[in-house]
Amino acid sequence: MVARLEVAVDATKSDMIKIFATAIIVVLYSHSTLLAQADSTTVYKKRVLETTEIDFLTSYYTQDGQNAAVTGGIGTEELTDATATFIVSIPLNDDDVLSIDAGISAYSSASSSNINPFDGDSDPYVASSGASSGDTWTNLTVGYSHSSDDRNKLWGVHGSISAEYDYLSIGFGGNVSRLFNQQNTEVSLSANVYLDTWSIIYPTELRGSGNFRQSSITGNRNYDPIFVPLTGKNRNSYALGLTISQVLSRKLQGSLTLDVVQQDGLLSTPFQRVYFEDIEDSFVDGFHLAEDIERLPDTRMKVALGGRLHYYINEFLSIRSFARYYQDDWGIGSLTASVELPIKLGMKWTIYPSYRYYNQGAADYFKPYNQHLSTDPFYTSDYDLSKYNANQYGFGVRYTDIFTSFHIGKFRLKSVDLKYYYYDRNTPFSSSIITGGLNFVVGK
Amino acid sequence: MNKYLLSICTMLCMASCVSIKPYERVRLNDPDMALADIKCDRNLLTAHSYREAASGGNGGKTGGGCGCN
Repeated sequence: MVARLEVAVDATKSDMIKIFATAIIVVLYSHSTLLAQADSTTVYKKRVLETTEIDFLTSYYTQDGQNAAVTGGIGTEELTDATATFIVSIPLNDDDVLSIDAGISAYSSASSSNINPFDGDSDPYVASSGASSGDTWTNLTVGYSHSSDDRNKLWGVHGSISAEYDYLSIGFGGNVSRLFNQQNTEVSLSANVYLDTWSIIYPTELRGSGNFRQSSITGNRNYDPIFVPLTGKNRNSYALGLTISQVLSRKLQGSLTLDVVQQDGLLSTPFQRVYFEDIEDSFVDGFHLAEDIERLPDTRMKVALGGRLHYYINEFLSIRSFARYYQDDWGIGSLTASVELPIKLGMKWTIYPSYRYYNQGAADYFKPYNQHLSTDPFYTSDYDLSKYNANQYGFGVRYTDIFTSFHIGKFRLKSVDLKYYYYDRNTPFSSSIITGGLNFVVGK
Repeated sequence: MNKYLLSICTMLCMASCVSIKPYERVRLNDPDMALADIKCDRNLLTAHSYREAASGGNGGKTGGGCGCN
């Protein structure tokens, strides 16, 4: 009997071991099956940026006109500027991108050279040599952006610093975007702050350092302007932006952007001269000595509403159109309208004819040369703040190689852009700019 | 200001009338259809921000960061 019981207990133990082992196998199998099912349902997530991209942008700009603000609304506006910029976009992982944007710009300016016009030239209204005849602007911007797994939410932050001889700017900001309606609609919000500092430079005669003798003054020989130096040197800008983008059909999409900007601080340019009709004029070798500098309010609020509408006509032609309405509390209202027609010439070449119209009303504080009253609280003779309209004509060409067959080491050329624009105001001012861009992807 | 509100409302209304599937967006995904300025034009926009009083509304500079208008 005992022997039978022992056999029965052994049999029970054996069964339990079998049951336990079976249970473990079932659990493991079930788990592995679930894992396999989970793997099979994993959604493929496209990287926000497949590989590192490098853009090299360059431009050469020239302008000329006869209403230089440095000399109170008369004189040459001749200026040339050459710019080079590198933009590197680095994918940190599937979702995050780091971008580094470094640029340098060097200009030579006939009008700013006349901050000190007394350099011995016979005509003080042409370019002078000296420290103010040119400058270099440098900029570094670093940005980081993150995209959610479903690509319906994006956010980014950036910081920047830029400097030139008399100007330093520190900026930072961020943006958030939300896509919905099956990504047919996108709403973006952005906020930016710039904290700028001037190194104040006055016209040379107002610094008491003009390289001329009192006895050489003609006209009013008792040149003694009542000049009150500026008290602040900071300029702060706070910008908020809202953009709504919408797919309207399989061939049409558009966006609306509303920007609101509040600025405060030193919003005038310290070396821009102003002349008054109620003050007797003083000259040295025909150069009109400054009676004061530009004075403008220390706050400015700007509102701009811009709209884009892009239409794909066919595989050869599309239309890119843009319109903007602008208003600020200095009394300037402006309209801008532009159209660009990308025309594809085969797989690799696209040409870009374009036209842009711009007009603006004058600032409340603008008057031409020698027409202000010294009793006015604010005054400027900067024609960039005057009433005018301008036409711009452009033509560009792009070469695209989607196979990136041309390469320099790991840098594979994706596209080349070259564009030319001519800009003409109905005041005596015109400018030209040639811009170029090279886009590389990094990889084997 | 009413014009701004009207435009924004119109755009929001339009948002509900269309839903194009991702696979139907071949044409919209053309690089020339991107709702942004062409990168190569950046220095042109910078020149505008110096020479014109108006700025903003185009995804570019709105003021500050330079001695521009």
